[in-house]
Amino acid sequence: MFYLAIKNILFYKGRSITTFILTYFSATLFIVYVAFMDGSHVSMLHNSLKVYTGSIQIYQKDYRDEGGYDYLIYDNQKIFDILNNTNGIKSYTSRIETFGIASSKTDSSAMMLTGVDFTRESGISELKNALVSGEYESSGNCLYMGSDLTKRLNVHVGDEISFVGNAIDYSFAADIFKVCGTFKTGMYEFDSSSAFLNREYFDSVFYSQNTSSYIVLNVNDLNENDKIAEAIKPKLDSQYRLYTWQELMSAMVEAMEVDSIFGYISMGLFFVVIFFVILIYGFINASSRIKEFGVLKSIGLSNSEVDKLLIYEMLILSLSAIFFATVSGGYLAYYYELNPIVIEGMSELYKDYGIISDSIPTRFSVFTITWNIGLILFLNLLSVIYPIYYIRRFNPIEAMRHV
Amino acid sequence: MYKTIFSLAIKNAFLRRIRASLLILMIASSMSVMLVIEGLYDGMTASMIDKALRSDSGEVTIFAKDYRLKQYIKYSIKDADKIKKELKELNDVKSVLTRFKINGLAGSAKASYPSDLIAVDFKDEEEFGEFSEFIKEGSLKLGKNGCIIGKELAKNLKLRLNSKVIFTSRDVNNNIVSKLFRIKAIIQSTNINLDSKTLLVPKEAIYKHIGLDNSSATQIAVRTDNEKLIDTIKEKYPSLDVMSFWQYNPLLNQMQDSMIIFNSITFAIVMGVVFIGILGVMYVSILDRIREFGIMLAVGYSYKYIRYQVMLEAVVLGLIGFIIGTVLSLVFLYYLHIYGLDMSEFSDGFASFGMSSILYTEIKTAYFTSIFLAIIFASILSVFLPLRKIKKLTPTDVIRNSL
Repeated sequence: MFYLAIKNILFYKGRSITTFILTYFSATLFIVYVAFMDGSHVSMLHNSLKVYTGSIQIYQKDYRDEGGYDYLIYDNQKIFDILNNTNGIKSYTSRIETFGIASSKTDSSAMMLTGVDFTRESGISELKNALVSGEYESSGNCLYMGSDLTKRLNVHVGDEISFVGNAIDYSFAADIFKVCGTFKTGMYEFDSSSAFLNREYFDSVFYSQNTSSYIVLNVNDLNENDKIAEAIKPKLDSQYRLYTWQELMSAMVEAMEVDSIFGYISMGLFFVVIFFVILIYGFINASSRIKEFGVLKSIGLSNSEVDKLLIYEMLILSLSAIFFATVSGGYLAYYYELNPIVIEGMSELYKDYGIISDSIPTRFSVFTITWNIGLILFLNLLSVIYPIYYIRRFNPIEAMRHV
Repeated sequence: MYKTIFSLAIKNAFLRRIRASLLILMIASSMSVMLVIEGLYDGMTASMIDKALRSDSGEVTIFAKDYRLKQYIKYSIKDADKIKKELKELNDVKSVLTRFKINGLAGSAKASYPSDLIAVDFKDEEEFGEFSEFIKEGSLKLGKNGCIIGKELAKNLKLRLNSKVIFTSRDVNNNIVSKLFRIKAIIQSTNINLDSKTLLVPKEAIYKHIGLDNSSATQIAVRTDNEKLIDTIKEKYPSLDVMSFWQYNPLLNQMQDSMIIFNSITFAIVMGVVFIGILGVMYVSILDRIREFGIMLAVGYSYKYIRYQVMLEAVVLGLIGFIIGTVLSLVFLYYLHIYGLDMSEFSDGFASFGMSSILYTEIKTAYFTSIFLAIIFASILSVFLPLRKIKKLTPTDVIRNSL
C-alpha cells in the first residue's frame, strides 16, 4: 500500500506539488512566526526581570494592596536566613522605597528614592551595567540617579539636589544629596523617576534599619522559579506574601497573551485558506480516481484499505513537506535567536510600552516547533476525511462506471 | 450567442457541485475571516487614534519652544488665551482649548506616585473631545477642591471616589507647594499617560496656588478637518512649537503604517492561495470537458467564445463566493461594530497597550472593493493556463480523445 501511495504521488504531480508547496509554506511560516512572537515576548520579559524586577519578591502581606509604611517588612534578617537555607537561589537583597520631591536649583520632579545595598544589588539587577556617568557604588549622601531624571532636574554628576519626603515613622524627612552616578536602563518611566542611595545612609535619614519595602531575589534557573517559590512559601511567617515574576508582571504577561491570541488568529486565517485549497486538491484528485478505486475494490481491497491508501498519500506528502519546513523554519528560528534582527530606534519609539531593546530575537524551542508541525500535519490529515467519505459512497460497480 | 455562452457558463460552473461548493466555501470563509481580522485591527488603531485626538492633542497641538524637552512650567505659552481666541477665528477650526500641565508627586495616605496635574476648562474639554464619555465613576460636579483622576493612577494610589489626594510640586517661585484635592470622578480614556499618571483639575483651582498667570498654558490643542491648517498656524506663530497629530504621536503613525503593511501582506498571501484554489478547480474542470470543447470547435464555435465561457465560469464561481463572503463578513463586522468583542479578561494587558478591552470593528467600503477586484482578477487569471491547453488543440484531435 505504501509503494502504491508513492506511485500515485509521483503520477498525480499537480496535486502533489501543490500540496507539498502549500504545506511547506504554511509550516515554515508558522514556525518562524511563532518563534518571532515568542522570542520578542521572552526578550521583553527577561529584559524587564533582569533590569530591576528579579524573579521573586517577598512583601508584607498587605503592602501591594494597601501600600504605605504600615506594611513594611520589619525583620529582614529572618527572611534572609530562610533564603540562605533554600537551594536554587542565586542572589537576594532588600530594597526600601520612598517617594518625594527632588529639587535642583532650577527644576523639581517627583522621585522614587530607593535604599539599596549596592554590592548585593549588582547580583540582582542590571543597575550596575546601566551606568552612564560617574560611579555606581558610592557611600554617604551620594545618589545613583536615572539619566532622564537628571535631564528633568537639569543636574549632572557632582551637582546637589534636595529631597523632601517622609521617614518611615511618618515624620518629615529632608536632606541634600549629591549626584555621584547616572544610569540608563531603557525603561523610560524608571529612568525618569528613580534614584538609589546606599542603604546605610538611607537608614540614617529615614529611620529604616532592618526594614524593607520588599525583598527581591533571583534564581539560578528561571524554569525552576515556581518550584523554588513553593519551597520558600511554607517557611515564611503568615504575615508575608511571596510573588513570582508572573504575578508581579501580570499586566505584561497579559499583554503578551493578548498579542499571542491575535498572532494565532492571524495564522488561523492562513490555515483556513490553505486547508481548503489542500482539501479541494485532495478532493479533485480523489474524485478523478473513482474508477481506479472501483477497480481496487473489485480486486479485493476493503474500504479501510482504500482509506489507508489516501491517508498514506497525504501522510507522505505532508511529512516530506514538514521535514523540509522544519529544517528551514528551525534554522531561521535558531539563526535569529543567536543573531536577532535589530531595528534602530525601536526602543525609543515604543518606550511607553516597556520595550527596552532594539533587537527582535526569535525563540528556538523544539517543543514549540513540534506542536507547530503537529498542528499542520493534523490539518492536512483532516483534509483527507471528506475525500474518504466521498469515495466510500461508491460500491465497486458504481465506481467503475463513474464518469 | 452571448446569452447562450452565459447560460452554458452558469450550467457548467455547477456541473461538479461538490467541487464548486468547496471552492465557494473557501472563498467565502477566507474572505470573512480576513475581513473580520482586518476590521478588528483597523478598529483598534482607529479607537487609539480617536482617543488620542479627543483626550490630548487634537489635529494640531502647540507648545512653547523647549517645553516638550524640559516639561517644566517656566516653558509655558504666556499669552495662550489670546492665541486661543485668534485660533478660534480661523476658518475650519472646530474647537480650541488650552491646558496647563505641572509635574509633581501625587500622594495618598497609602502611597505616592510621580504624576502630572493638568489644569483644564472642562467645558472646553467637552466641546473638544466629549470628555464626559471617559468618566467611568463619579461626575463632573467637582465642587470645591474636586479633581478627576486616571483609573490606573487611582489604582496605584489605592484611591476611590471621594478619597483625598495631595499633589506636591514646585510653584513659579521654586517653592515646594502642596494642595489637597478630593476625587470626584475616575476616568479611563485608554490614553496611557492620562490614565496612569494624571490628575485633572479646573484651572481656577490651581493657577493661583502655583502662581501662574491666568492666560498662560503649556499646551494649546486644535480640532479641525483641514489638514492644511497647520501650515497657517505655523506661519502665524513661528516662535511656538506647532505639531501635527502624527508628529506628536509618531508611535500611532508607525502603528497605523505597520497595520497597513500587515493587512496588505495578509491580503496578498490569502488572495494568492485563493488563486491557487480557483486555478486547481478550473484546470480540472476544463480538462474534464476537453471533448466538449472539441465538439464546440468542430460545430463552428470560435475559440474566442470558449474563452469567454470559461472565464465567465470562473468569474461566476468567484462572484458567488464573494457574495456569500460579503454577507458573512457584514454580519460579523456589523455585530462586532455594534456590540464589540469583549476581551475584559485581558483588560490589564490591553490597558498596557493603551487600548480598550472591548474591541469594535471598522467597516470600510474599501475592504469589499479590493477583495471584489482581487477575486475577479484571480478568477480570470486562473483560466489562462487551462485555456492555453485548449488553444493548442484541433477539433479532430480532441474528438478522437487523443489527449
